[in-house]
Amino acid sequence: MDLQYYLQQLVNGICLGGMYALMSVGYSLVYSIMSFSNFAHGGVIMVGAYVGFFALTALKVPFLVAFLLCGVGSGLLAVIIERLVYSPLRKRKAPSLYFIISAMGASIFLENFVIATIDGTPRNYPTLFSNSIKIGSLSLGLDSLLMIIVSAVSLLVLMIIIQKTKIGLAIRACSYNEKAGTLMGINSSLVIFVVFLMGGVLAGFAGMLYGMRFIVKPTIGQVTNKSFVAAVFGGLGSLPGAIVGSLLLGIMEIFVASINSSLRDLFVYALLIIVLIIKPSGLMGKPVEDKA
Amino acid sequence: MSMLEVRDLNVYYGGIHALKGISLDVEEGQIVSIIGSNGAGKSSMMNTISGIVKRQSGEILFRGEKLPSQANKIVKQGICQVPEGRLIFANLTTYENLILGAYLRKDKAGIERDLKRVYEIFPRLEERKNQIAGTLSGGEQQMLAMGRGIMSAPELIMLDEPSLGLAPLLVNTIFETIKEIKAMGKTILLVEQNALKALSVADNAYVLEQGRITMSGPGKQLLKDPTIAEAYLGHAK
Repeated sequence: MDLQYYLQQLVNGICLGGMYALMSVGYSLVYSIMSFSNFAHGGVIMVGAYVGFFALTALKVPFLVAFLLCGVGSGLLAVIIERLVYSPLRKRKAPSLYFIISAMGASIFLENFVIATIDGTPRNYPTLFSNSIKIGSLSLGLDSLLMIIVSAVSLLVLMIIIQKTKIGLAIRACSYNEKAGTLMGINSSLVIFVVFLMGGVLAGFAGMLYGMRFIVKPTIGQVTNKSFVAAVFGGLGSLPGAIVGSLLLGIMEIFVASINSSLRDLFVYALLIIVLIIKPSGLMGKPVEDKA
Repeated sequence: MSMLEVRDLNVYYGGIHALKGISLDVEEGQIVSIIGSNGAGKSSMMNTISGIVKRQSGEILFRGEKLPSQANKIVKQGICQVPEGRLIFANLTTYENLILGAYLRKDKAGIERDLKRVYEIFPRLEERKNQIAGTLSGGEQQMLAMGRGIMSAPELIMLDEPSLGLAPLLVNTIFETIKEIKAMGKTILLVEQNALKALSVADNAYVLEQGRITMSGPGKQLLKDPTIAEAYLGHAK
């Protein structure tokens, strides 16, 4: 009985962690190339959740189509933000503080843009998968299973792109030294474009998963800040770090919540502060001296 | 027509006038050395040719054509810089570093051939091809930086302080390699603090002082010049 309870919580934790991972790799990818925390990412995730919601309710498209639309919508949005907001700053070689503040501005803009154009009321996704399958005495909801599969497959594809393709090699090179990358003939604008596109697509997937599991409202971008905590915990700038950090954070968060659900956010943000004090490079990150 | 023609180049860093009307020529197939003390503007000049540093005025012609302004497009023209401090990708393997040198190339057979060639010149790099480049010794990292340069199949290869911080024995190896690269038919622009070595290998050389070219001529001739001997070769008068 007890074991079953813990296993169930573990599965819930992996679901949550997988979703965090989809979000946190976006933070990590951008940080690894541009050395700043892209807080507009929360807004991109939120817009993804809305795209999915309206695709399902207004356009009444099948789940898979809605899911892909989320990726396309958020991917485009991330690229547009990069072109409109960060690209001018890059050309001026602005300090990273300017990027962070502009990112926060973009995030607040997106939130209010949605409130102004749609409205601020929370919405629930239609129930898509209510069935569950039994594995032994463990009951696994189809929606949970879907979350785990989607996260795992998306992250696997991302890792293959980063580790095995030419553009992936260029991304890894530029993440170490952009100037040296340029001397190899790498177009750093293209690298940045691809990084925002990939981060954005995964953010869209994550937004839809979030909406299906919880709720859609303009402020869910703030909730997704927890995935930023996961990225810091795993080591900002490191992709494997972001994934491991997210899974651990998801599992820990669920177990803390099972003790007392009001401790949930307290725990997550306390962890952020503790990591920054004790080991700012996180579990797998580079030493902070490398990239301020 | 020279392969590379630099005409009246002016570069400012903030308020500092780093290069003050530099002109120089690099003939195809030659080694051209630029010597000068710290802060004379040697690296600024190289970075300006490779497009990393923007110039305020002046012209750079490569085979009679103006170079594009973006550094990554200049590589495509056949100019490759092996930068000071090597700037290898310490997070990637030796092999990945070399392959990045060939980033713009599409000729798979040619890339394979050049990779073999690099491994012939630097057998150490083949032994360590799967090792993370950050764990290589300083000399091996310099070899990697030069090998990576060769992998881009450049017509003009610009070496910025290749002997900096290396043990004397390794310095000799590096200069032997420079001759080998010349023998491969490449043109070389070499910036060095080690004036004796740089002038010895040079077909032509320039002396850069405080952003100006103060002397030029065949390497052997400059080697015999008494003012150079005193200022750069450490000979007493």
